[in-house]
Amino acid sequence: MAIMMPASDQTVLARRAEIVTALRAIVPGEGVIDSAAEMRAYESDGLTAYRQPPMVVVLPDTTEQVSLVLKYCAQHGIKVVPRGSGTSLSGGALPLEDGVLLGLGKFKRIREIDFDNRAVVTEPGVTNLAISQAVAHAGFYYAPDPSSQIACSIGGNVAENSGGVHCLKYGMTTNNVLGCEIVLMSGEILRIGGKSAENPGYDLMGVITGSEGLLGVITEITVRILQKPETARALMVGFAQVEAAGECVARIIGAGIIPGGMEMMDKPAIHAAEAFVHAGYPLDVEALLIIELDGPKIEVDELITRVETIANACGSTTCQISTSEAERNLFWAGRKAAFPAVGRISPDYLCMDGTIPRGALPKALARIRELSEKYQLGCANVFHAGDGNLHPLILYDANKPGEIERAEAFGADILRACVEFGGVLTGEHGVGIEKRDLMPEMFSEIDLNQQQRLKCAFDAQGLLNPGKVFPTLHRCAELGRMHVHAGKLAFPDIPRF
Amino acid sequence: MDTLKVRDAKDVEEVVRAAIASEQPLEIIGHGSKRAIGHAMATNAVLDVSALNAITAYEPNELIVTLQAGAPLADVLSMIDAKNQQFAFEPMNTAQLLGTPALGTIGGMIAAGLAGPRRIKAGGARDHLLGAHAVSGFGDSFKTGGKVVKNVTGYDLCKLLAGSWGTLSVMTEVTLKVMPKPEAERTLLLRGLDDAAANKAMTAALGSPFDVSGAAHLPKSAFRTRTDGLGDIPGQGEELTVLRLEGITASAAHRAGSLRELLAPFGTATLVEDIASATLWATIRDVLPFAADGALGAWSVWRIVCPPASGAALGTLLARETGGDVIYDWGGGLIWAALPPKSDAHAPSVRQRANAVGGHATLIRAAEDIRRDVDVFHPQAAGIAALSERVRASFDPKTILNRGRLTRGAAA
Repeated sequence: MAIMMPASDQTVLARRAEIVTALRAIVPGEGVIDSAAEMRAYESDGLTAYRQPPMVVVLPDTTEQVSLVLKYCAQHGIKVVPRGSGTSLSGGALPLEDGVLLGLGKFKRIREIDFDNRAVVTEPGVTNLAISQAVAHAGFYYAPDPSSQIACSIGGNVAENSGGVHCLKYGMTTNNVLGCEIVLMSGEILRIGGKSAENPGYDLMGVITGSEGLLGVITEITVRILQKPETARALMVGFAQVEAAGECVARIIGAGIIPGGMEMMDKPAIHAAEAFVHAGYPLDVEALLIIELDGPKIEVDELITRVETIANACGSTTCQISTSEAERNLFWAGRKAAFPAVGRISPDYLCMDGTIPRGALPKALARIRELSEKYQLGCANVFHAGDGNLHPLILYDANKPGEIERAEAFGADILRACVEFGGVLTGEHGVGIEKRDLMPEMFSEIDLNQQQRLKCAFDAQGLLNPGKVFPTLHRCAELGRMHVHAGKLAFPDIPRF
Repeated sequence: MDTLKVRDAKDVEEVVRAAIASEQPLEIIGHGSKRAIGHAMATNAVLDVSALNAITAYEPNELIVTLQAGAPLADVLSMIDAKNQQFAFEPMNTAQLLGTPALGTIGGMIAAGLAGPRRIKAGGARDHLLGAHAVSGFGDSFKTGGKVVKNVTGYDLCKLLAGSWGTLSVMTEVTLKVMPKPEAERTLLLRGLDDAAANKAMTAALGSPFDVSGAAHLPKSAFRTRTDGLGDIPGQGEELTVLRLEGITASAAHRAGSLRELLAPFGTATLVEDIASATLWATIRDVLPFAADGALGAWSVWRIVCPPASGAALGTLLARETGGDVIYDWGGGLIWAALPPKSDAHAPSVRQRANAVGGHATLIRAAEDIRRDVDVFHPQAAGIAALSERVRASFDPKTILNRGRLTRGAAA
């Protein structure tokens, strides 16, 4: 394992039996799992290259139990790793050898549907898709739609600030969450927000969203729901050059059109997807755009025409426009199956997740090609082109010595390039352990210290999900120290009035 | 009192560090347009960021603009307007409500986080701030976020900066998302609805697939004073319920037709287009019926945010109880209440009513002596208040920045 996790606390490990007994007193029955065989299911999340069995798994089913578990762990200096459905692609739920794995899977009830206030109150273990399904009969849905939406939990979505294909138009999780009930590491239960559009005071909900399970354990969430657009149609446009596809994306946005989704695939991804799902993708193009427009029929029809005109002007070589739901779904089928499709052509792959300014797309692709040569590993690229979010899939074989290390080095170079081009390390998968050690590429020590000070405000002992997000852990007392600079309000050279 | 006009982020660091060393808290201002919001501060010097006013980069095709915090909002708005773009959250101009001359700076816009009618569709200032450079109360420059829309790298400290009223850090440069301006706008007008019926009509509209981008209700009493922002709209003596549709022309017109049918049980809606519609929504955004130079200029003004379907009941009760006036925006989720002069600005009634429905209230306009005795910002539950204080201290442990603005009694 290339990533070092915090050293295990031997005194905690030595007290394992006692800890298991104490946890059983809080969560009775089968809610505490301590057998090696049963714990295997929890030893990794969606980042399967990393595995670590936890000290013990606890599956509470009430907020009270969550609170008591955290309080007990805080009192005894025991680390805790929260987990939803375990679909994180960045290792956010990777267990610790000396830590309690706190699974929220039993929190799977939708508590309230309030159509008048356009809000759903739900427990965190409910899947993303289940929320949309629960309100579909009234024409509503929950907008963020990560690819794992069948399996991923809404609690995990809040922890990771998950995106999806439609977030260009409808926003990420943070733009669609109104409030929550959260349990701090101390065991304290707090309620933040509710069904109002804004919360009073500092925007705690905003900073908890995307905090990767380091600030608290969420036990209830209020999300906002929207009416489904009347209709949706898609264009599938092929280009002989990646640059032309990038230009097309820029011109669509420049024309003031915000599509519901705008995805790009490069040649290796197109070929892999076509071989897998037979969506009718053109195989002689270098880049394929799938552009979806949604809204009232009259608007969609008009925008389809405008986008088609822009695509032609950018030199598209093929352009198909969906005329039925079946056809639209077929266009998407290949894109949605891109990851498993790549899985068929390569024994293993690493899925990267950087964001760049849209205009840097051709440059980034050229760099990825160079790196692919350098590392002698294939790479298929799928992008959320509308918002510059890249998902290069690096192909490797874990059984060949040295390939995983080469793949990881390749991935790290791609993410460094994203930062170099004015972008960021992760657009939607989170930092977790995967990009933890790259954080200094984007942030200075001062930047990271300020983030860790915030962590101290929520969890002063640093017991909640340690080893994730931050490459270096500091004690809160050290971070809070003020370096007083000598001087008074003198500033001879600053203009004063 | 000293005013220190900083020229760059280094100056800000230097001033903050000296303030820490000498334990002299700083008031942070741009144009000072919202200075009258909040409590009197216990500060001995002013850190003025208005000279940090550069437009660092505007990239219309990337839908982003990077600005120094002191950039004048008016200049920035006209710059992006020239490229047919806008801040989709419709930042409020508080000048007429507060009776101040200037429109303010970008930093003030974010620190106050006062979004207009389109918040129901496009989100607030917090949803459009992508990245920031700021100087914390440790005297250190730090950055958070980035210059791209999709970013989950590290904690999203931008969310905390938006709406923090300058109490966490001094923003020096920010990157904001801009969006294309809609080609057309159409507003449907319903007349003569009482608050409860209007709330129902707005709920029906916002629960429809017609992508409503504004839903407001002006009771009859809102027109007891100035109505100049409503120039061309006849029948101002009546209650007005207004619903906005934006987008490409054919679509806005089509949806207006569909929505009118949906709302038929509430009466026959009339249509207002483009410029007349824009004027009407600016009037609502800036709460002009309660303007400082109008007949209600001496009244206290509250901004109450609540679950939208609870709006009418809350507003009606409050108006009846106090003899005040209310205007509803955000489909009932935002209530502007102008209440007749009283030493406590009717705070117990306002807060009790707001709490009862899970809402909260901010005293946006009131004389300084009233603000000495009344909490301007909504008091929070003990646990949240304690966590918020720890969060504040994680940025500014010595309470150097805007000391006392958010909490009563600090200046005494």
